[in-house]
Amino acid sequence: MDRNQISKWLKNPGKMAHKYSFHVVYFCTGCGIIEIPPSITTRWDAERFGIIPVATPRQANLFLITGYVSTKTLKAIIRTYEQMPEPKYTVAFGSCPINGGMYYDSYNTITSLDKYIPVDGYIAGCMPRPEAVFIGVTHLWKLIDMDKADGYKRYREDYVHYRANQEQLYGQMDWPPLFPVEKKEQANL
Amino acid sequence: MNIVALIVSPLIALITGLFFLGLSRKISARIHWRYGPPVYQPFIDVMRAFSQKSITHGNFFDFGIILSLTGTIVLVLFLPIGGLWALNTGGLIMFLYLMLLGPFGIALSGAAAANPNSSIGISRNFLLALAYEVPLLLILLAVMTDYNTISLVEIVEKQAATGMAISSWRLVIPGIAYFLILPAILGLRPFEITGAVQEIASGPIAEFGGKHMAFYTLQHALQTFVGIALFVDIFLGGGTLFGLLNSLAGTVWVDILEIFIFLLKMVLVLFIGLFVNAVYPRFRIEQAMQYLWKWPTLIAFVGLVIVAIIN
Amino acid sequence: MVSLKEKLLSDFEGLKIDDREADRLFIDTQKEAVLSLLSYLKKAGYNHLAMVSCTDWIDEGKFELVYIVNAYLSGDQVFGKKEKKCIVIRTKISRQSARFMTVMEIFENAEPYEREMHEMFGIDFEGHPRLTPLMLERDYKIPPFRKDFDTLNYVNNTFGKIPSIEQRKEGLK
Repeated sequence: MDRNQISKWLKNPGKMAHKYSFHVVYFCTGCGIIEIPPSITTRWDAERFGIIPVATPRQANLFLITGYVSTKTLKAIIRTYEQMPEPKYTVAFGSCPINGGMYYDSYNTITSLDKYIPVDGYIAGCMPRPEAVFIGVTHLWKLIDMDKADGYKRYREDYVHYRANQEQLYGQMDWPPLFPVEKKEQANL
Repeated sequence: MNIVALIVSPLIALITGLFFLGLSRKISARIHWRYGPPVYQPFIDVMRAFSQKSITHGNFFDFGIILSLTGTIVLVLFLPIGGLWALNTGGLIMFLYLMLLGPFGIALSGAAAANPNSSIGISRNFLLALAYEVPLLLILLAVMTDYNTISLVEIVEKQAATGMAISSWRLVIPGIAYFLILPAILGLRPFEITGAVQEIASGPIAEFGGKHMAFYTLQHALQTFVGIALFVDIFLGGGTLFGLLNSLAGTVWVDILEIFIFLLKMVLVLFIGLFVNAVYPRFRIEQAMQYLWKWPTLIAFVGLVIVAIIN
Repeated sequence: MVSLKEKLLSDFEGLKIDDREADRLFIDTQKEAVLSLLSYLKKAGYNHLAMVSCTDWIDEGKFELVYIVNAYLSGDQVFGKKEKKCIVIRTKISRQSARFMTVMEIFENAEPYEREMHEMFGIDFEGHPRLTPLMLERDYKIPPFRKDFDTLNYVNNTFGKIPSIEQRKEGLK
């Protein structure tokens, strides 16, 4: 442990613990998932930084979306994201979740992910190498330090809009809203 | 009954248990040629889990995990840690009963979550408990017959006078049998069936998040501590060191030294268990039951017969 | 010994056979002959339907259906060991009335391929027991793998029309 950080640890232990204990749930869409096994196993060893994969979204606090998102998988992504306990962070991989990437004109791949769930950071590249993943994680540390990794707060505050976007894409949704949605606000749009 | 021991012994058990979890992650990382997480990583994980919002699935979901944690803490109170014991009235029989409280609480929680993965995990958990309780009971019977007492404290004291149980030829065979079922008690591979991450999404704890996960981690740490400490108490003579410290007995420093010796012995046992954990793949549940009811049971039974004939 | 190519030419009319490649035999045929050709080949030992696929030739106004059949063992016993292992049967059907016969009576594993082609190209397979959606969830006016399906336009009209969260917030004010 870095000695300079001891004051930080004493000041806000919860935040610091979040920084150094990322339990990750991966959404295995697309090609990005190929970059995950080398980064968590012997070659790059993400466990040095406390990053380990977990099996269920309930135990996780970091959500990695690794690659393009088709309309069908977006449903699963939204459900997984809503199941994670707060605070939670989302990082999207590669150029496809940013603007569609090479699937910019595909008939069933959504073009930008942050219209449907909040994304704290993007790692650009097609695909990003494991080094880029680590740099992304260090950037996320900085964001958490500055309290700017507030995707889950935005999701709670603007849930009406997120839900409206999701419903515009899917029509009627299969599951009830996570937070209460007031009908009046929806009618204004 | 000792007020200081009542507070100190669960604390020691919690801290060493979490430390053991970190150590096991570090050692398996070194075996994989990785650098591995820091040893205090489980402490960070627990802190993170406590700071997360948790989602509850009803009263039983909350109650089960608390029951499991308190049950395991009570178990620690009956366990002599070196020269430190909180309650010396309990015997091995009660210890056996209380050992089921931990899995039972987790099972209550998991059942309340109504996740299919949890249900599979719970059924596996109880089947595994059923499988290792049989040889465990035979082993404890052999030990109790040999020492002519059911009290854990007396067993440890007699070992201090006569030397470690495992070095006396009558109890070598039950000792080996206990060592064979130790991975099953600790939930290490090849018996990592209950919380198989890749198969059933970590089993009974699939729905645990936030504080529930933190409580589970603490319980798991305590369970690890109890499983190894029982072995050290029954067969390796607790905190005694071949009777070398008997002449110095009586001062506080010797008591503290005995605790350290006890923990050192535990680390040794953990190391051997971890090496087994690192090289073996996972059993299926019926393979695990077949194994546990065959070899350890047979060995423990032979040991019991020998001890019974001699007494 | 008579080779498979000569035998096929003598038994069927109007086949164009291309055997330039080392391992594959390409047969272009009329759409009426496909079923009899497939059952003939199955009897001859080519007993595995590896794939059914489709190409949209929009300038000709045709769909080209491609059936690929393989022989594993018994093909050798009929025609000798030197015969080709993989046979590609190609046929063209009209784009306007896209209907064809199912080949499930001969090769039962054609079912998912035909369902997929029904979904993606809008080809009706007569005699197919369940032409229900296989993969797609959304409704498309034109089946999405047809060449006249304008994907960029579709994306701009559906995904592009969804506003970002900031735009939604401004709209609320």
